[in-house]
Amino acid sequence: MSEQSKKTIEVRGFMHLDAAFRKKGPIPFIMELEEPITGAELANKLEIPWDEVEVIFINGLTYALDHEVHPGDRVAFLPPGCPGPYRLALGFYSKNQNNEANFKIKKKD
Amino acid sequence: MNKFIRVDMTTMKVTTDEVPDKYVGLGGRALTSNFVADEVKPTCHPLGKNNKIIFAPGLLSGTTAANSGRISVGAKSPLTGGIKESNSGGSFSQKMAKLGIKALVIEGMPEGDKFYIVKIDINGVTIEEAPTEILGGCGNYKAIEVLSAKYGEKVGIALAGPAGEYRLPAANISFKDPEGNIRSAGRGGLGAVMGSKKIKALVIDETGAGAVPIADPEKFKEAAKVFSKALLDHPVSGQGLAAYGTDVLINILNEAGGLPAKNFTTGRIDWNDNISGETMNATIQERGGDGKISHGCHQGCVMRCSQWYADKNGKYITSGFEYETIWGLGANACIKDLDAIAYIDREMDDIGIDSIETAVAVATAMEGGLLPWGDGEAVLAAVKEIAVPTPLGRLLGSGTGAVGNACGLFRVPVVKNQAIPAYDPRNIKGIGLTYATTPMGADHTSGYCIANNILSIGGFIDPLKKEGQVDISRFLQIGTASIDSTGMCLFVWFGIADNPPAIQALVDMINAQYGLSLTIQDAVVDLGKAVLKAERGFNKAAGFTNEHDRLPEFFEYEPCAPHNLVWDFTPEEIDEVFNF
Ligand code: SF4
Repeated sequence: MSEQSKKTIEVRGFMHLDAAFRKKGPIPFIMELEEPITGAELANKLEIPWDEVEVIFINGLTYALDHEVHPGDRVAFLPPGCPGPYRLALGFYSKNQNNEANFKIKKKD
Repeated sequence: MNKFIRVDMTTMKVTTDEVPDKYVGLGGRALTSNFVADEVKPTCHPLGKNNKIIFAPGLLSGTTAANSGRISVGAKSPLTGGIKESNSGGSFSQKMAKLGIKALVIEGMPEGDKFYIVKIDINGVTIEEAPTEILGGCGNYKAIEVLSAKYGEKVGIALAGPAGEYRLPAANISFKDPEGNIRSAGRGGLGAVMGSKKIKALVIDETGAGAVPIADPEKFKEAAKVFSKALLDHPVSGQGLAAYGTDVLINILNEAGGLPAKNFTTGRIDWNDNISGETMNATIQERGGDGKISHGCHQGCVMRCSQWYADKNGKYITSGFEYETIWGLGANACIKDLDAIAYIDREMDDIGIDSIETAVAVATAMEGGLLPWGDGEAVLAAVKEIAVPTPLGRLLGSGTGAVGNACGLFRVPVVKNQAIPAYDPRNIKGIGLTYATTPMGADHTSGYCIANNILSIGGFIDPLKKEGQVDISRFLQIGTASIDSTGMCLFVWFGIADNPPAIQALVDMINAQYGLSLTIQDAVVDLGKAVLKAERGFNKAAGFTNEHDRLPEFFEYEPCAPHNLVWDFTPEEIDEVFNF
């Protein structure tokens, strides 16, 4: 669904990442993007630690962090913490079985 | 828990018996549903003398087990015409368990118009006339104050609000929480059943009762520790829910395109920021005063998904401000202001009406031209009319199906006449199967999480595709039925579903309390299946067939943006869910 003519992406963050994005400016955060990059590279650019992301949404569909983001896409970063049945129903579990944050218990320090 | 109490409102007699053998190992939903299936005439009128309403704590209620204080209420539903189990927090369940009461049943129906209070304490059960000041439209907040002043600040209370007194099909039963605020056994109109039996309130005082007996206290303590640590360590149950409440789902469902809006005509909105959990959290923090980001609906809740939402001056408006209510008013009825939604939520609690059913009914009324889209003030005024009740108030209190009929609409989002909540079945297919097939009528809590096999099936799930969805819906429904029987808040599954030692700890607690040696298969899978079978058996005898397990037809021909999908499961595929 990416529109080739666009050279920007719309980015959102949920849960505590929402507050972090708000510090950057209005929501959604509009970011210039000339060439496709992976979600992981995008996270790096935005200074979001990988273990704070369970899945990313790209144009309303769930993907693992290594999926490619194209100019024109609508992207959202979701930290671990979405209630259980929904992460199943929304496909977080199936799309993202190799991610540490997916359905794994992270010990509190 | 060895007492089985029956209150006969025809003769005004109370009998206390030993628990019948067949119910000894059951609690919560397993007990209420088996009882209704055994004793209620399936074809009876839900508001007539042959319906019975049963209150039962869960198996672990009253113990120190984290999150075990939920109460189940069962009866034939005036909304769906089928069996109903609805559960709630508050302090009632733990007090019943401490008094050794396995179940309290209300049957029969008195002559005349008087309303009564059923008072339960260490000396037994008495029936008294209800004080007139809490009748005829008195709100629940005031009624709780009056009853607490009369019977003691610490008593537990289960109330039929004005909606219950008027026997409206969407009336809930309101439970006093530890701070004197309100939690609800919301769905299916059980408040109307209470009202039909002329019970205004049950009041319970456990003064003088000892602790709940535990067969093996050491083993129990150990298992309880493992269990609560699992909850606290998990990112969902330990952190996500406490910070953002269930309203965390607004942004997530909106992004996924599964947030039904404007009476189910689209799956995404652009005002999600106004009503999201993130915004609620920031607003509560900013306003200070009475506001609290997290709060437990009963003593012993360690996950604390509830909150106190305060107004601009920091004054308490409402608590337990849930995703489904905020979705219903905010996205589905297009009210773009969280404060306006909070005042309506408070009013619904005060009147004792199911906030999901009523929010969906409001959006349906908007589509039918009875109310202006998105007008919070008009909705608040209309909801207040339920307490009068005016004809519009009665109509809203009769639920979404009734409003849809009265307005001549085809887009009426109900299954078995109960409103579909908060997740669009066209873009999140698995949840649609649960709405269609649960014996409860469209209910999102019927399909919560279970155990290990889920995780393997979960590996294929794509929300937009059919693969694996039938299996998931079946396993989720079985797991939910068993959790609802323990007295545990369903949300514990967020914290233990992916943690086998924690599931074992839950079963170990039951074993240690009752001196049993159940396995996970017995306590979770087999029990859950048996509960669902009893419920489905009741519905069948009440006249329900497979054809009632269908979503409204418009889902099949109205595509839902942004993914533009329709509901495309065949009847045969849907019927597979209950093939076990
Ligand atoms: S997690 Fe929420 S619903 Fe569950 S017991 Fe705690 S406050 Fe109540």
